[in-house]
Amino acid sequence: MTDTKGSGSPNLSRRSLLKAGLATSGAVAAAGALPATARAGGDPLITEIQDWNRYLGAGVDEAPYGMPSEFEAHVVRRNVPWLTADTVASINFTPLHELDGIITPNGICFERHHGGVAEINPADHRLMINGLVDTPLVFTMKDLKRFPRENHVYFLECAANGGMEWRGSQLNGCQFTHGMIHNVMYTGVKLKTLLDEAGVKTNGKWLLPEGADAAHMTRSIPMEKALDDCLVAFKMNGEALRPEQGYPLRLVVPGWEGNMWVKWLRRLEVGDQPWHHREETSKYTDLLETGKARRFTWVMEPKSVITSPSPQAPVGHGKGPMVISGLAWSGNGRITRVDVSLDGGRNWTTARIDGPSLSKSLHRFYLDIDWDGSELLLQSRAMDEHGFYQPTKDELRAARGENSIYHNNGIQTWYVQKDGAVENVEVS
Amino acid sequence: MSKFLKALALGTTLAAFPLMASGAAAGDIDAGQKVFKKCTACHAVGDGAKNKVGPQLNDVFGRAAGGLDGYKYSKAMIKAGEDGIVWDDESLSAYLKKPKEFIKGTKMAFAGLRKDADLDNVIAYLATYSSAAATGEDTSSAPAATAPETVVARAAAVTSLRDGGIYGIGRVALPEEIAAWDIDIRPDGLGLPEGSGTVADGEVLYTDNCAVCHGDFGEAVGRWPVLAGGHDTLTEDRPEKTIGSYWPYLSTVYDYVRRAMPFGNARSLSDDDVYAITAYLLYLNDLVDDEDFELSKANFLEVRLPNEDNFIPDDRLDEVHYAEKGEPCMTDCKPGPVEITMRARILDVTPDSGDDDAAAVGAVD
Ligand code: HEC
Ligand code: HEC
Repeated sequence: MTDTKGSGSPNLSRRSLLKAGLATSGAVAAAGALPATARAGGDPLITEIQDWNRYLGAGVDEAPYGMPSEFEAHVVRRNVPWLTADTVASINFTPLHELDGIITPNGICFERHHGGVAEINPADHRLMINGLVDTPLVFTMKDLKRFPRENHVYFLECAANGGMEWRGSQLNGCQFTHGMIHNVMYTGVKLKTLLDEAGVKTNGKWLLPEGADAAHMTRSIPMEKALDDCLVAFKMNGEALRPEQGYPLRLVVPGWEGNMWVKWLRRLEVGDQPWHHREETSKYTDLLETGKARRFTWVMEPKSVITSPSPQAPVGHGKGPMVISGLAWSGNGRITRVDVSLDGGRNWTTARIDGPSLSKSLHRFYLDIDWDGSELLLQSRAMDEHGFYQPTKDELRAARGENSIYHNNGIQTWYVQKDGAVENVEVS
Repeated sequence: MSKFLKALALGTTLAAFPLMASGAAAGDIDAGQKVFKKCTACHAVGDGAKNKVGPQLNDVFGRAAGGLDGYKYSKAMIKAGEDGIVWDDESLSAYLKKPKEFIKGTKMAFAGLRKDADLDNVIAYLATYSSAAATGEDTSSAPAATAPETVVARAAAVTSLRDGGIYGIGRVALPEEIAAWDIDIRPDGLGLPEGSGTVADGEVLYTDNCAVCHGDFGEAVGRWPVLAGGHDTLTEDRPEKTIGSYWPYLSTVYDYVRRAMPFGNARSLSDDDVYAITAYLLYLNDLVDDEDFELSKANFLEVRLPNEDNFIPDDRLDEVHYAEKGEPCMTDCKPGPVEITMRARILDVTPDSGDDDAAAVGAVD
């Protein structure tokens, strides 16, 4: 019975046909969606000459800046319109279910703005360092490019990633439940290099980065972290930062919540106390069941999610070999282990981490199984180099209640049905 | 046809017959003046009207969309003008009814006027400030597109070296430059500017600049943030976190309003204005009850917000699941087969899955 399901569940294959149809708009549409099983006379895709086998394609320079294949047009950031009042102070989500490896392509890194995307000519951009320093300084972008540089891959996760799931499973898709994250390689100058250039006074214990956008975003960062591994970055994945990621300059605060990674960075003020600004009082504080709220909860805890199969990436085949693939990360450092459960957390198998294992970066894991075609309750559990591992959602709720919004790193469950459809569920 | 194309097609036709529409007379000007209160947070009209969050609206009839010099429009609005949309009864009414549908990508953060009467009336009111509409003057000569903004040639930003420092890169920041950017305020009062403002002054400023989004009483319009109320809700099922119920420090209100509000026109309020609005926000939150109360640099630190003591340091690592870290269980970790206790499909709020607006709960900030 399972071998009739070569193209996945009826529902889902219809959906992907639709998508393919949209993308090709009338081209030899959907031929590729036919099952690849042998048929009498042979597969026409092999036995017949296809257009692309005969006619010439586009030449070089057709797209001076290349774009993904038109068949990938569905791989885009998406938002959840009911969350916010207006798109200029809103968020969208990275399509994690469509990606593999550990790097997020620049064009689909999720966005979160508080006053829209500032448009800044780099020639007009300035970075000021002031406050408790020996010499307050102003740098142009050209100045910044004369300092020694470093390259690092780091994940950036919004503290509210998963925030809609505190009360229970709500959104069907890891793009929506876990997509406020991206992972790119940054090129920039160590923040310490710039602070040393200005000379931090001995009572300079805190740093206030500020953005040049209409929100003038500010956060208080303890000096210890600022001097440890923060970067002032101007490149991501080798090219200039995207406007929506803070072009021409952003702060990189490895392992800590995304809101602190101030975009369009224009100022760094050194002080002797934190500022308690809006984004660290009204927002980004974690309300507990008791009515008390934790503040300065900076570190992003160990977390993981299976990206395929997942609700937007259902199983497209019958029983037999199946690749379970996912992402794991921790703001504390490297991920040393990811366990996967097929039965809702009763029994676990250690998955294989593949690709670079870098501190405070996404890790890719795989578990290759022989699916017997029965229902699965998939879970993954990340463990970092300090031995911290992901709690269950119920453990988190027991400790914090349901109103914390931020820092939901509970174990996710996907219910894989016999027909390959996948749903976001919670389990006993 | 996409909505955008439809809008363009409509706009083009309208532009070809700029005088066809003369329905402005249909509206009631006085009623329109009241409706215009919904616009004043962002637009001015009349003598000496200046650009605010949105462009000033004198002589808007006959103006090409995005056609006012010296105002920075969205790309979409400029494109609409280039494509031939000129403001008249019909285009105004289409735009003001559903701004984001008529001009996809417009940055006017306004949901639109639902009632046709409001539309007619506010358009009639605007017409009284437009010579083209009043005199029926031929506007076909109105520029269909904005002259391309003169490209200001920027001197390539310089790079400088100085004596001292480790690399000697950059230059010393001047005191006036630091003063222009360093506007942050701390709970201990560091950074508070000279000045003062009363609750009564704040009410006027708030009504003009803030109420469109945050509501007359800080209760919020639609999904814009709530600024007042929510007392004693922090332990409830749906806590309402406001300045009065949640924020620990008043300095944060002053700092944030001055740096980021009104949304879309940041840094437009004077220091006195911000004192007055801060005082009014205290009043809306029942933290002062006297309209004559004046907030100033001198008495600022005397005001304490009620929830200050309820913030605690990050103690996540004391939670059982982290504190007792060790080898996690690998086999038979749960007593029996696992049951599904909740399914996302029951409450389907995933975008594109049908009913997005269902009973969705959540917050992203
Ligand atoms: C929250 C702020 C806000 C509110 C409220 C608002 N507007 Fe706007 N409006 C804007 C902005 C910003 C623009 C510029 C849009 C763009 O560039 O895309 C604009 C553009 C316009 C334009 C186009 C003008 C031109 O020069 O092309 C008209 C007309 C207009 N608004 C009328 C109104 C009216 C009438 C109301 C009230 C019923 C209103 N607006 C409410 C912010 C607002
Ligand atoms: C066009 C709509 C609009 C107008 C007008 C506006 N605001 Fe806001 N306000 C917002 C939005 C949107 C946010 C949240 C921004 C973000 O996401 O960071 C906000 C946030 C705030 C907050 C923080 C709320 C919280 O709970 O953290 C305060 C305080 C505030 N506004 C005060 C004001 C004041 C005072 C004015 C008038 C001077 C004003 N606003 C005018 C849209 C508006």
